[in-house]
Amino acid sequence: MTRLPPQAGERIDRSRELSFWFRGRPVRAFGGDTFGSALYAAGQRVFSRSFKYHRPRGLLCCSGGCANCMMTVDGTPNVRVCVEPVREGARVEPQNVVGSLDRDLLSVVDRVGGPFTPVGFYYRTMIRPRRFWPYYERFLRNVAGLGRVDKHGDRKNRYDTEHRSVDVLVVGGGRSGMRAARAAAERGAEVVVVDENPSREHPDGLELIAPATAIGVYEGGLVPVDAGSVLIRFRAGRIVVATGTLDQPLVFGGNDLVGVMLPSGVRRLVRDYALKPGERAVVIAGDDRALECVDDLLAAGVDVLEVVDFRERRVSALEASGRRGRVESVTIDGRRLECDLLVASGGPQPAYSLLAQAGATVTFDAQRGIFVPTELPVGVEAVGRVAGNLGNVGVPHASYGDGTSAKCFVCTCEDVTEKDVKRALAEGFDSLELVKRYTTVTMGPCQGRLCHLASIRLHARERELDAAAVGTTTARPPWAPVKLGLLAGRGHEPAKRTSIHHRHKEAGATMMWTGVWRRPYAYGDASAEVANVHDAVGVIDVSTLGKLLVLGADAASFLERLYPNRFADLKEGRVRYGVLSTDAGRIIDDGTVARLGDDSFYVTTTSTGAEGVLEWFEWWNAVWHMDVEIFNVTGALAAVNVAGPRARELLGRLTSADVSADGLKYLDARQAHVAGVPCLILRIGFVGELGYELHFPSVYGEFLWDTLLGYGADLGVKPFGLEAQRILRLEKQHIIVGQDTDSESNALSANMPWIVKFDKDDFVGKWALAQVEEHGDRERLVGFEMANGAVPLEGGQIVVDGRPAGRVTSSRRSAKLGRSIGLAWVPPAQAREDAPLEIRVDGRLEPARVRLRPFFDPEGERLRS
Amino acid sequence: MNELAFLSPDDAQDDGFAPRAASPLARALAGSEIVDLSLRGKLEVRGSVDEIDVDADVIPITPERALVVCDPGRVGTLRPRLPGLVVDVTAALAGIEVEGEPLMRRVTDLALDRLPAAAKVGDVAALVARDGNRFRIFFPQEYGDSVVATVRDAQEGLR
Repeated sequence: MTRLPPQAGERIDRSRELSFWFRGRPVRAFGGDTFGSALYAAGQRVFSRSFKYHRPRGLLCCSGGCANCMMTVDGTPNVRVCVEPVREGARVEPQNVVGSLDRDLLSVVDRVGGPFTPVGFYYRTMIRPRRFWPYYERFLRNVAGLGRVDKHGDRKNRYDTEHRSVDVLVVGGGRSGMRAARAAAERGAEVVVVDENPSREHPDGLELIAPATAIGVYEGGLVPVDAGSVLIRFRAGRIVVATGTLDQPLVFGGNDLVGVMLPSGVRRLVRDYALKPGERAVVIAGDDRALECVDDLLAAGVDVLEVVDFRERRVSALEASGRRGRVESVTIDGRRLECDLLVASGGPQPAYSLLAQAGATVTFDAQRGIFVPTELPVGVEAVGRVAGNLGNVGVPHASYGDGTSAKCFVCTCEDVTEKDVKRALAEGFDSLELVKRYTTVTMGPCQGRLCHLASIRLHARERELDAAAVGTTTARPPWAPVKLGLLAGRGHEPAKRTSIHHRHKEAGATMMWTGVWRRPYAYGDASAEVANVHDAVGVIDVSTLGKLLVLGADAASFLERLYPNRFADLKEGRVRYGVLSTDAGRIIDDGTVARLGDDSFYVTTTSTGAEGVLEWFEWWNAVWHMDVEIFNVTGALAAVNVAGPRARELLGRLTSADVSADGLKYLDARQAHVAGVPCLILRIGFVGELGYELHFPSVYGEFLWDTLLGYGADLGVKPFGLEAQRILRLEKQHIIVGQDTDSESNALSANMPWIVKFDKDDFVGKWALAQVEEHGDRERLVGFEMANGAVPLEGGQIVVDGRPAGRVTSSRRSAKLGRSIGLAWVPPAQAREDAPLEIRVDGRLEPARVRLRPFFDPEGERLRS
Repeated sequence: MNELAFLSPDDAQDDGFAPRAASPLARALAGSEIVDLSLRGKLEVRGSVDEIDVDADVIPITPERALVVCDPGRVGTLRPRLPGLVVDVTAALAGIEVEGEPLMRRVTDLALDRLPAAAKVGDVAALVARDGNRFRIFFPQEYGDSVVATVRDAQEGLR
């Protein structure tokens, strides 16, 4: 009978019975049991098969520190069942097994594969022929490794992120941690304690979060804590680390057999879960705390055959033997003892990893053979055993193997043996970090908790160095395994939507991303939308345009310095197009500037450029110290472009303002009420037809949109989307910054020499543009039309005299023009009207001709009408 | 109309059209107990915050910058009484009022005992003010659906 009579302080609640499924069979458990303890009580001894050799593995630490008990629970792989509380009806399956845990067909690798699978074999023995590597890799991934993620899992688990600020965060709820927490609380600090183990009782006046694991310490006192389904990101004024120590395994032949356990694991089985860990035991350890487990074993009725304290008795050789992966005997210096449980400890190692991540210095204590934290950073404290308060601790040998017998595992997670480490050193990987990367020792699920010290000891012995000279590897988060889902959190992606967005959705628009904005691509047939703008009137939501107010006595001078064209002479109530350049003359954005008053300007930017332009303006304002204030009013204002030959008629129905050709001229800016809504009307025309851009408070977005469509129904008003807008503007050769320009483009080469006023005082980019003017440019942006109906891809290759010579930036079929048109960068020599080009379309070269003037309404008569 | 009148919802007039202002959060908050502050009057003040002397809710952002929140009908009368440059941001900012630190911890990394403050809420730049266990969050209206979705999702996670 494995389950013992009730034990004082046991975690299980015998009055509450649960059951779950293991490999399709029911298993009974008590409340408070873990899947591991319940399975152990049911007689299960083999809990996993090892990573590489498929050796049977049993419970070792019972604290979630090692990989020995990893199983798949309810579809989630790599769950450490020794610490996972039982859930009613859960389904538990072994992993990395073909057959059963007791009879795994892949264990053949352990019996015959050893000579063929030395450390790093996949770098050398399976690389030729190279084309077979994908098959080798697939094979290796199938026979080695851990659990499998179900790609088609239903992702039913929810993970949240929480942010907390506390005065003091105590990591570790043992005696030392709680003592420190109480002391801090008594001084009036807000204290939170996190502990890996389930809480038995709630301490008075303290907040205890358990089970919860601190997975790292970052700058600024940031400590992310894995609390199961919530990742709590603590910002702590002080961090107290009370993580205690970790029992270290000894390295000897057969040290991974089922039945070889750490003292702390044995203690948990007996005390917490009332389980008898064996019948006949041998104990070997070198510190008092580890040896306390003898009392537990005796209390549990285990026959303790021998206790070896290697502080008092020198041991030279140690080996465990058994059949089918289970311990049946242990041989100590030639003396064989038959047993089914070997409790072996290489001593306690302070669990300093979080401290090292925080910046603590870690120093080797030669007398006790361990690393202890010293020189803690400001705001970080270590208390209890993690600080090295361990008393008299014996130092074991690096290994008790004789090199000829059974495998001596240094790292059970990755199946790295003593022989592997020796071989890596012999091959010249002579630093601890290199050995780590070559052998993967310490890189498994335990992240070095149980193998780091052993690998250092072995390294030091083989190279005849002091362990201090070998040093430690870099401590990095995560200190404990953490689910990727927990790190990912809820995954909200902020999106911007205009105040008219839902009207577009209701109208059946196909939406698309432009930057972080959601915009209508089309409401149906984009070609019909284009035709409607040409023939009647269309409305498009352009609320996404960036909108800035530039206010102050120096506002005009400020813009004069920023733009290559003039703004000081811009009259109140007028609009001018502007292109912003970097110091190097490269185009960064474009838009319009309207003068509202002597000291106030309204600047529009591209939809994705608002934040960048705002930063650009503020940066230069900080440099020039001008009397200017800049406000980003992008979201404050909705904007609708009313465009088409009947636009004036529509607008006239909604406002008492004079919107006649003389009353509101092309490039006029006028404030007026439209349908009662205060508007700034800009008479501009990106799409090439008579157009009015209405800018108004966004809370009236839906109202004015509905009103325009309602009052213009008899005029044929219809909404149009981005695709129609792109065709319309292309017909006018209006550029889109970022599509028709790139980080090398300047206003001169982009066919806008008229915008650069070299006779102005200095402006941003003037010197660079003057260089272009003097030395010429490498390419020019031109329009082109195809000789046939082919539509080249955007990004398509321009070919001149059989050689690549440029690229297409925009291209569309224009139904209005009855031909395919586009914009392209070409060599300056080709930038002349009617110059021949060839453009690669579907692998063929198709003829095209350069067009330097707008394809549609080249004189702008419709625009200015 | 003054130069910046087109920014003010308050400047709307009937003209026979009866213009209706709509909260950008109207749909997102449907069926929710979250209080919508989007249509409250909001003025951004760039001037000495110490000199602000009006009977309205003043949320300081920096010593030289503040958000004044008031009844929407008072924007016009308050504006000339405020120091420095004043811009009507009523339509620029959406706002909500929610209850409880646990919820706020799930949507922002702000230190909740040091409010008001500007920081991100649901990955969106926001201004957060506190009154007891209630929190007012103001953010760009174009992110309204995203912020409300995040907040409502966080509420769901706490149930």
